[in-house]
Amino acid sequence: MAVAAQTGEPGAGVTVPRRVLRSPTLRLAGRRLLAVIPVLLGVTFLTYVVMNLLPGDTAQVLLGANATPAQVHQLEVKLHLNEPFWVRYGGWLGGVLHGDLGTSLASGENVTSILGQRLPVTVELLIYAFVGSIVLAVLLAVLAARRPNGLADRFSVVISMTGLSVAPYVLAVVLVYVFAVRLQWFPAIGYTPLTADPLENIRSLTLPAIAIGFPLFAVYTRLLRADIVEQMQREDYIVTARAKGVPTWHILIRHALPNSMFGLITLVALNLGALVGAVAIIEPIFSLPGVGAILISSINNHDVPIVEGVVLVFAVVVVVAALAADLLYAVLDPRIRYERPAS
Amino acid sequence: MSAPLPDLRPAPDAAIAAPVRKKARGRASTLRIWIPAGFLILLAFACFIWPQIYPVPKPVGGSILEAGLPPFSPGHILGTDPNGNDVLSRILYGGQVSFEVGFSVTVIGLVVGGLLGMAAGYWRGITDTSIMRVLDVLIAFPALVLALAIAEGLGPSESHVIWALAIFSIPATGRIARSATLAIREQNFMLAARLSGTRGWRVIGRHVIPNILPQLMTFALLGFGIVIILEGALSYLGLGIPLPEPSWGSMIAQGQQVLSAAPEQALIPSAFLFATVVALNLLGDGLRERWGVR
Amino acid sequence: MNRVSTASGPLLEVENLRVSFPGRRSELRAVNGMSYSLYPQRTLAIVGESGSGKTVSCRALMGLLPQAAVVTGSARFRGVELLGLTDDEMRRHRGTNIAMVFQDPSRSLNPTMKVGNQIAEAVRVHQRVSKAEAGQQAIELLRLVHIPVPGRRFHEYPHQLSGGMRQRVMIAIALACRPKLLIADEATTALDVTTQAQIMDLLLELQAELGMTLMLISHDLGLARSCADEVIVMYAGQIVEQASTPQLFARVRMPYTQALFEAIPRLERPSHAPLPVIGGRPPDLSALPAGCSFAPRCRRAADDCRATTPPLAEHEPGHRWACWHPIETPVA
Repeated sequence: MAVAAQTGEPGAGVTVPRRVLRSPTLRLAGRRLLAVIPVLLGVTFLTYVVMNLLPGDTAQVLLGANATPAQVHQLEVKLHLNEPFWVRYGGWLGGVLHGDLGTSLASGENVTSILGQRLPVTVELLIYAFVGSIVLAVLLAVLAARRPNGLADRFSVVISMTGLSVAPYVLAVVLVYVFAVRLQWFPAIGYTPLTADPLENIRSLTLPAIAIGFPLFAVYTRLLRADIVEQMQREDYIVTARAKGVPTWHILIRHALPNSMFGLITLVALNLGALVGAVAIIEPIFSLPGVGAILISSINNHDVPIVEGVVLVFAVVVVVAALAADLLYAVLDPRIRYERPAS
Repeated sequence: MSAPLPDLRPAPDAAIAAPVRKKARGRASTLRIWIPAGFLILLAFACFIWPQIYPVPKPVGGSILEAGLPPFSPGHILGTDPNGNDVLSRILYGGQVSFEVGFSVTVIGLVVGGLLGMAAGYWRGITDTSIMRVLDVLIAFPALVLALAIAEGLGPSESHVIWALAIFSIPATGRIARSATLAIREQNFMLAARLSGTRGWRVIGRHVIPNILPQLMTFALLGFGIVIILEGALSYLGLGIPLPEPSWGSMIAQGQQVLSAAPEQALIPSAFLFATVVALNLLGDGLRERWGVR
Repeated sequence: MNRVSTASGPLLEVENLRVSFPGRRSELRAVNGMSYSLYPQRTLAIVGESGSGKTVSCRALMGLLPQAAVVTGSARFRGVELLGLTDDEMRRHRGTNIAMVFQDPSRSLNPTMKVGNQIAEAVRVHQRVSKAEAGQQAIELLRLVHIPVPGRRFHEYPHQLSGGMRQRVMIAIALACRPKLLIADEATTALDVTTQAQIMDLLLELQAELGMTLMLISHDLGLARSCADEVIVMYAGQIVEQASTPQLFARVRMPYTQALFEAIPRLERPSHAPLPVIGGRPPDLSALPAGCSFAPRCRRAADDCRATTPPLAEHEPGHRWACWHPIETPVA
């Protein structure tokens, strides 16, 4: 899969020779940033619409069943809930542009501060899960591709199938039972911040990271192994490398692997969006104070600002990831980077 | 030639086929299809037909007196849950839910998504762009928020779960259908059909559908597994099938409460869920290999 | 054309080389008993159609065939048996003793690696030198193959070079460790005629300069005539005619060789005259006919041709052929 699209301007029949490392990449980045804004707008707007279509009175939910109509009405006014929703959305949007994400309807706290406290936890968890799954996937894929249908390869197939078929919440439950309840190697719930105790911090995040990362690891391994094997078996430059006398491991790692990364990068960038769901389910299981943990309860409480805040954060992450992926393509494949024609 | 090397591209002037053992390969691939298929058929039979012909204890309304019995107790082969319900029957009836939801969502996705995707891929132009924009928005949307909102807003019930999940099955299938249609669109037989003046939908019906069906079917099987997992997730969160109706997801959630004391409450439905999805994935892979889909 | 070396013995001795690939129903015999000797500093051309086994035979020498290939026979390089070596053992020969230049330079180079680094890699595989030193050698090699401004070209990627330049880079890679034998497998087929001529000139020049032995694999008999000392003609995995170039073209014996010869487009022919082509199709290597493999397509075929395979024998000193009814009269 060492194929990449051209990034020349459409309609430019003649490519002016340009000694560039940056220009096409920067222009690509610029265009991407511009496209980002409508996406973010669309997503947040849609979220607002959906949240508002939820039946049930927000104020009522917050106050509980015993509240009097007067109290409910009072709360409504206080929270601006009686205004039409596009006015509220506009207000929220305006606040966002000033860096103000509003206040939680349930707790009255500043959304920015809530997210600020919780985001590091989620970010650390996701980094742990991602880095772990990618590194292990690369290792296993290379080992498996070394000898197709050999021991490592069959093992990778089994692992991949398992990872693809298991649900994160199922895996979490099984992990908790085996490693926390029986073996007591890791805590079942709870979170220790990095600053307090690094070792405990890693321990408290390991099981949740595995629950999220294992299905990812499975998918990545499968894809990467297939791509590497295809490079090794179908590409002529591999034969050239062998004719030079290059050892097989060296060929795998220095030639085949870099040219196989494109599919993996695409997949990783694509995956990030789906992580909202995984995080929202896994964090509560392990009582981790991250953004996923409050997402579900916020939806239940109709706490729109928090929901919007979380959605916005994830949308930004997805978009940034897509941009990073494009930049990575350019780094890995010089054909995208350079526009100079053959001389 | 004793060294175990990765296979090389063969020399250009010797048209080499795939390595040996084609006959053994054929047998293995048939097994790879029929073993998971057999398991699924068996499971479906157990969930849907068995309770009709054999008196299985009811999955709900058990008495507290029988709560928390361990597996292999008399009359309750898998034990009972904290409410006194027979676990095996809850598994079987929960399995019904999984199959029903999975099947419905997959079929809706195949039909609606498939039609939309084929239309987009075949006619291209405005049809393509407009359909794909809509599908893209659906895909870009934070899935969980929407599913939760729908489930919560409409109230938990099986049909609501089906509709909530269908919203994701449609764009996913649509994309596959579209790319598959695009792939065969430029082939000679398609051009011939179009040139012969055959009407659009006729071409789609007679040429596109039969050719992209393998790809769609294998994708549908994999999607089936994903839908079952998602239904489980919703039920796990309490937003899917309402209690006390059984569902594997809610059983896992319940089982989590008593994980240390009675791990089998959570592990048994987990095992069934896992096995079913593995079977679906294996079947999908086996069929993909047999039909030569990439 | 080079002087015959008076040094001891042949550089490469191939004896009864057979390569087959197990297929779905039957074995595919790519090379069917090939024997020849190659002396130092000579240029040998192996000529044949696609499917004749020429590429498979030389890849067998370097151990570059797929795992499924079954290789029997013997191929001795300076007395050292090459067939049956482990990959590690074979690697010691690749690049140092035998090197290969491939057909399609656009696909034979790693698209994401600088060309200079690809050459330097060939150096560092066999010599313990620093990256910088290997880089210097790579630049020298680029100069050797007449690539202008080698210092700058080092840092470029394959897609930035023209076809001819890429092939020069391939040659530079092959020469990195000064191999004794260079195999050029259809090295010029993918290039335009002018570039072909340039590359062939380069190869011959380098051969003279470095004292290499050259093996040219081609379907182009004309190329063999202008560049080689000795020619082997292959058909269906076997050698059907072999002789030194002057001898061969003075008197072609095997009808297949003659047909090849006649198929070369020539300026002297009248315009618009149909090009004589060899009728029929290349043989099915998994179902070779009894008797001479060329018989189905041969104008001179007789019953004994179809019954028994003619052996390859040295009917004249220095000229071997495998035919029951060779051509007696000289070719035009």
